[in-house]
Amino acid sequence: MRGLDEDDNRLFLRGPPPSARIILVLVVSVVLMIVDHSRDDLSPVRAGLATVIQPVQSLAEMPYDLADTVSAYLDRGQLAARNESLERRVLLMERRLQKLASLQAENERIRGLLASSQSLREEVLIAEIMSLSPDPYRHHVKLNKGTLDGVFEGQALVDANGIMGQVTEANPMGATAIMITDANHGIPVEFNRTGLQTIAQGTGQSDTLLLPFLPSNADVQEGDLLVSSGLGGRYPPGYPVARVRRISHEAGNEFLTIAADPIAKLNRGREVLLVWRNQDDANADDATAADGEADGKVSAPDAAATDDVDATPEEQ
Amino acid sequence: MTATLRSSLLLMLGSLVVALALTFLPLPPWAAIARPALFPATILFWVLHQPHRVGVLAAWFAGLLLDAGYTTPLGQHALALALAAFIVFKMRDLLWTLPLIQQGVALLPALIAYAFTLFWIDGINGRQVDLWWRWLPVLSTAVVWPLWSLILERFALVEVDS
Repeated sequence: MRGLDEDDNRLFLRGPPPSARIILVLVVSVVLMIVDHSRDDLSPVRAGLATVIQPVQSLAEMPYDLADTVSAYLDRGQLAARNESLERRVLLMERRLQKLASLQAENERIRGLLASSQSLREEVLIAEIMSLSPDPYRHHVKLNKGTLDGVFEGQALVDANGIMGQVTEANPMGATAIMITDANHGIPVEFNRTGLQTIAQGTGQSDTLLLPFLPSNADVQEGDLLVSSGLGGRYPPGYPVARVRRISHEAGNEFLTIAADPIAKLNRGREVLLVWRNQDDANADDATAADGEADGKVSAPDAAATDDVDATPEEQ
Repeated sequence: MTATLRSSLLLMLGSLVVALALTFLPLPPWAAIARPALFPATILFWVLHQPHRVGVLAAWFAGLLLDAGYTTPLGQHALALALAAFIVFKMRDLLWTLPLIQQGVALLPALIAYAFTLFWIDGINGRQVDLWWRWLPVLSTAVVWPLWSLILERFALVEVDS
């Protein structure tokens, strides 16, 4: 069918023949993936590549951003309505905050009595979601805040309702975060009602978390609130994570099958909050990152408490 | 000669940037699961038409960019794309003789190898890969191939003329 074997066809090729190259590439790829999977050494490479394609990604987002801006200009009525509803919400929130101030003071007094080193003081920074992962099977988002703003790997991401995910990669100008619903993500949680500890795993579906490790005699009810337990040190404790939707037990199975709805609005909204924990036992660079970036950051001393208190009246 | 060389390199880069932008264009989920793999298709187009310039190694580097964009393990898309490029390189004598629509069909082995490598590595990473609709991009890419090739060929022609 063909006159020349490609590997010998030196008219076209310089360097090693393609079959040698494909073997080389195979080996390098496998080594890269193993290193990337098991260690963090490759994050500068990744950051470099991400910086290269950043302009292209912005280009792809441009039509949508433009449409957003234009519609915001044109649709004054909607804007006014939104403004009004936001003002109403601010009012409600402020009322809650008043109540909270006294609650927090009380909480800290009691913690002081317990000589606990844990403090609830946390700082947050508002970031914007630039893009969702183009791969529909991965729940990642790109944020517009990076290491220049003090963002670090492992930082927790929350919205107004609960925990969304954590930062997996931080570049100077942006960061990538994984959502709690990604199939490769698990978050340590506890039941708000009983204090029972477990792990909530992502499923790859944006409306479901699974709790695979609870024995069949565990005290679990549908509608139970799961909050982050803070174990493992990645997530700040006390934020709502999910609410139990369905409990089933297959005969002969040692564990319950529990599905839960994430509480954060993972698919909606563009604004998210990055959380810094100013704990006394937090490690030093976290603290400096938080201290060094006072501007633009809102002090939210009781974000955790807010959510807890919010959750209780809604249940009633 | 050098001018043509440089401008065709520009065309190549330009086509890749456009394909990459289309890859990252936000789509609703029902469309995103069938989104044609235009960036790999563009790489394969250049492997087919300029095999002395774009080969296995170039495809591998391009795949690394995809890995960064998709936040997949570094090397996953790179390996898949290099493999597809290798298959196209080996098949290029056959592909050259075919009209564009049949070329799309004849490319299926390369596209399947690409998709399969991705699934395989995803599977090792514990992701669910046994969903039939994960193969949709293979089909949509084969369908889009004649059109995309036509556009790229037109551009290449214009450039040769000027």
